[in-house]
Amino acid sequence: MRRYYEEKNRFRVDAQMKIGLEEIPFEEVPPPPVATVFLQQHVGPAGRPLVKEKDHVKTGQKLSDGDEPLTVPVHSPVTGTVINFADLLHPVSGEKERAIVIEVDGDEEWEYMEIYQEPEKQSKDKIVERIREAGIVGLGGAAFPTHIKLSGQQVVDHLIINAKESDPNLACDVRLMLEKPEEITQGIEIIGRVLGVQKIMFATRTSEGELPRLEKVLHEKNITLAHIRPSYSVGSERLLVRELLGREVPPDKFPPDVGVVVHNVATCVAVAQAVIKGKPLIDRGLSFYSRETGGRNLWVRMGTPVEHILQYAGLKPENFDRVVLGSIMMGRGVPDIRVPLVKSIAGVVALTPQDEAPFENPYPCIRCGYCDLVCPVDIYPSLLLEASERGNTKFIKKLNVEACIDCSLCSYVCPSAIRVNPKQRIASN
Amino acid sequence: MVDSKKHSHPLRPDLPPHIASGESKNRVMMKTCVAMCIPAILGVAAIGWNALWQILIAVATVLVLHFIIQVWERSTERMITYPSPSSPLVLGMIVGLSMPASSPYAVTVGVAALAMVIFKYFQGRVLYRKYINPAAASKTVLLAILSIIILFEDPLRVGMIFHPHHLRLDMISAEGFANAVAFYQTDTMTAAQSLIFWKTHGWIGGASGVGVLITGVIASYWIKLKWRIPLAFLVVMTVLATTMGLFTGGDPVSRIALHVFTGSVIFLAFFMATEPQSTPMPERAQYLFGVLLAVFTFILQLGGVLGGSIIALVVLNVFTPLFDKFGHKRAVGLGGGKHVA
Ligand code: SF4
Ligand code: SF4
Repeated sequence: MRRYYEEKNRFRVDAQMKIGLEEIPFEEVPPPPVATVFLQQHVGPAGRPLVKEKDHVKTGQKLSDGDEPLTVPVHSPVTGTVINFADLLHPVSGEKERAIVIEVDGDEEWEYMEIYQEPEKQSKDKIVERIREAGIVGLGGAAFPTHIKLSGQQVVDHLIINAKESDPNLACDVRLMLEKPEEITQGIEIIGRVLGVQKIMFATRTSEGELPRLEKVLHEKNITLAHIRPSYSVGSERLLVRELLGREVPPDKFPPDVGVVVHNVATCVAVAQAVIKGKPLIDRGLSFYSRETGGRNLWVRMGTPVEHILQYAGLKPENFDRVVLGSIMMGRGVPDIRVPLVKSIAGVVALTPQDEAPFENPYPCIRCGYCDLVCPVDIYPSLLLEASERGNTKFIKKLNVEACIDCSLCSYVCPSAIRVNPKQRIASN
Repeated sequence: MVDSKKHSHPLRPDLPPHIASGESKNRVMMKTCVAMCIPAILGVAAIGWNALWQILIAVATVLVLHFIIQVWERSTERMITYPSPSSPLVLGMIVGLSMPASSPYAVTVGVAALAMVIFKYFQGRVLYRKYINPAAASKTVLLAILSIIILFEDPLRVGMIFHPHHLRLDMISAEGFANAVAFYQTDTMTAAQSLIFWKTHGWIGGASGVGVLITGVIASYWIKLKWRIPLAFLVVMTVLATTMGLFTGGDPVSRIALHVFTGSVIFLAFFMATEPQSTPMPERAQYLFGVLLAVFTFILQLGGVLGGSIIALVVLNVFTPLFDKFGHKRAVGLGGGKHVA
């Protein structure tokens, strides 16, 4: 049986890769022989390195930090020796960026932060500082520094936990909900207390009874469980706020500007681990998929090269010719499998030569309007396509391209096989 | 460790997305053909085998020309403008279904050829898009050229593609109108019944007005046609016809039957006025397009140009780039909502 997400105007997104994936527990991928840790793994300026070549580093040791408000530290995911500082291909930006290369050696040693056994007794400032110190960023893909969202600069009345996980290839958040319900709830409580919000909503696409342990603890803590309709686009933070509260977030603003803070469910786990166990963000759960191996949920250390993950999954080089990091709808293909995992990556998909490459031979636009019909933010990708091809910047502005959330639905439905994505297209022009 | 240097296929850093819905241009075209088979079958059942020959001649003409153009494009190493015959096939069917069965075959061939070579191929190749509906434009041009035949003794037999006596019809007064529609009356049906359910004259594709209406509604849902255009077009035509009927004291039902269910309106509404490339994208602009199409068509009909909808359509098609600039929806997050910050 196929599985679909329902979008506007009767369009559907195939969520086939998800079938069965939610039932597969996390497997811990062993640390790689060499880890590559980028200094830049978040939105904001990168920190300065705190180690030098040949230094011995422990697992969890801080490797970089800085004084800028948006800077978050990165930590060593392994125990070993710093063998190199190099400018390497970044898996998200696609540019060469500074990375610390660590060769694993000896027995694993840990350097965690002080444990806060009773976090409710700590001051809000101390909690926020701990979250920053732990290098926590939004794990839903945006990688926005979490401590900034908790800094209380705006008055917020709602906290939404985004556990919607609507990308067709990801199921790692559902696994977290099944395997770590207590940590999720602890993280939510910590965040809720810092924000001092009136209402906390836990947004999930699962149906009632699917997550019995989590549902029970959320109920005990008086956290509203909101079952969201199965739709891919509603997973976007802005559309989730609209769906749940009817509030619209302008393109140049963020949810806190309309009184809402949204955190991903995986971020809640990282917050709980940082505050209660003193563990910095050095690993995360992700979903892996390839036609050869099927789906797997993996617990992977940051800095692990993708090639190590593929090897762990049992894939041979001839089995794939494209590797996508993150969402199959929004993530880029990487040119080199040696790129490492960074904090924002929640998925790895290895596509084989047998997998369809649907945008290989585009036709001219037939103006069927399908892209306009499916666009969840009601802009006109078809007209943006025409305007960008003609270089008509005035019309592009009139068409509100800034409202585009880059969800790729317009390309997904295009019968002419055009990668319509207006923001991407205009940026590349 | 996997050695990427030994990787037999270098990785392709494709941009997102990496999956697609599976809908293709060919599938959309084939669905349109399947939908048009219903009016075609009804047309042949109502009018006879000649209707089938007309459709087949139009389709064959277009496909042969498509083949010749492709051979020429290949031999001159040009980019292939229409790699698949699916879109020419749709054009052939539209041409066939928009012809009267009485049309001389040569005229059908002429309309199909002009539509394919000038209004489809030339527009696609040179202008990168069809700005005007090929079938409607081709018929309009031939209508103008062949008007000269009006000077011949039996123009219909020589190749006239409209009935010249229509121009002398009094479509305004109640009596004049009653005389005009009487033509559709049969032994078993009144003129209105014949126009709505089963007519043996006019466009092949409009033989059963109700049949086309039902097929059109289903096709709009199935193929996701720009349904606002036929909706606005048919509603406004109905309102105008009813008003005219009441105003002139005639029978409003007959008015609606002629003005709305004639093939050039009902078939054109769903299968020509929704042609995607030559019609507007914003929803409100589509409504406006349909309203104006109705107004122009109605005026032409009152002047005795019963198939005037094709002229109205071609004129409006020209203004589609202008329509595209208006009536845009409010983008999410950009004002208007009460919760926007
Ligand atoms: S879906 Fe594709 S073919 Fe249709 S209007 Fe949009 S860009 Fe053009
Ligand atoms: S990528 Fe942008 S334009 Fe395309 S459907 Fe998503 S929001 Fe709309």
